[in-house]
Amino acid sequence: MSIVVLDAMEGRNSISNKLREAIISRGEELSYIELRDMNILPCRSCDACGYRSPGKCVFDDDMHDIHRAMARSSAIILLTPVRFGGYPSTLKKAVDKFMHMCLPSYGVKDGHLIHPTRYGSKMLMGIGVQQGCSKGREASFSRLVENNAWNLQFEYKAVVLDSTGDMESIGQNIENLLKEVC
Amino acid sequence: MSVKKLLLINGSPRKKGTSYSFARTMKQLAESMGNEAEIIHVIDYFDGKERVEHLRELMIQSDIVAMAAPLYADTLPYPDIWLMEKLIGICNDELKGKAFFAVGQCGFPDITRIEPLLAACRFFAEDAGMKWLGGLAYGGGPMINGALMEELGKKGEKITSGFKLALESIFRGEEIPSGAQELITMKIPKILYRPLVLMMNQRANKLAKASGNLDFKRKVYLE
Repeated sequence: MSIVVLDAMEGRNSISNKLREAIISRGEELSYIELRDMNILPCRSCDACGYRSPGKCVFDDDMHDIHRAMARSSAIILLTPVRFGGYPSTLKKAVDKFMHMCLPSYGVKDGHLIHPTRYGSKMLMGIGVQQGCSKGREASFSRLVENNAWNLQFEYKAVVLDSTGDMESIGQNIENLLKEVC
Repeated sequence: MSVKKLLLINGSPRKKGTSYSFARTMKQLAESMGNEAEIIHVIDYFDGKERVEHLRELMIQSDIVAMAAPLYADTLPYPDIWLMEKLIGICNDELKGKAFFAVGQCGFPDITRIEPLLAACRFFAEDAGMKWLGGLAYGGGPMINGALMEELGKKGEKITSGFKLALESIFRGEEIPSGAQELITMKIPKILYRPLVLMMNQRANKLAKASGNLDFKRKVYLE
């Protein structure tokens, strides 16, 4: 089992530490990527990744290392603050390039148009973190993870943790989530 | 009715793509209704060609602000979220009470895919204290591929009618009516998806051949 964590949290924090410790204690192979330190250039929609440079952005940035880890992994975990009911820019700069995990050709699945997967199916887990409770934003975050997974043809799981909750129950939540991945 | 100022934000990194074409049509419609309208491009702010402070000023001077954006990985592109975060950081209560709406467009015909993009715009409006007037979703943006509405015949006329209906409500301070969405929705029966896929894959193979990369299924990151 190989797990990639894309951590978009704003600084050192207990939730990131808990997640990292929980994965390591399970003995899983882990690539833990702190996105705030990564140089990822925006997608310019130049379409070069379709045919001229299939599955690979022509810009030289840190996303190539992330894609290499993702291609070899069996699960990708997004740990992120919930921003506008979705992802903050720190995470979105990476997610915008997730479509390189798919082919530029087309298919039909369950009555919908799709791009076939390039590296096979994996598990996508979105762990959102927000202060307090906002059911609308939680639902929106979950929907976004679901849509990402659907486009990538991955299995998925999405949860939102309340950062004001006690660390013991957050840690337990993380342990339970990992049981579904590992 | 007093003259209103509409600020249209092109959320696409492409300055002459489909989102811009939509914004351009809405600008023309707003002006034909006796209002003022201006288009700005997010990518100019992201690239540092314009200052975010300048956009803040433009938004303060406007009555209505709109985001027209493509769907990137199921929601707004990264530069748009970056800009929204910046605006929330510097605007305090200055945008309170202004109206906000959005138009999202995606490659596939299924417009429900655009819901997270519209939700992000709605929550941004909420965080900025702006009044959310709703969103429109267009499926099949690449088929327009930046063409102007007047070049698209009947399809362009229907989209323009949808935008007109939406803007009439927006300038009255009312939410976008469902009829506007119906007018712009392209209806492709699902039974046609398989022949459509065959056609699009033929085009994909031609593009691959033209670029000299026939093996576009390569697992580049496992090599």
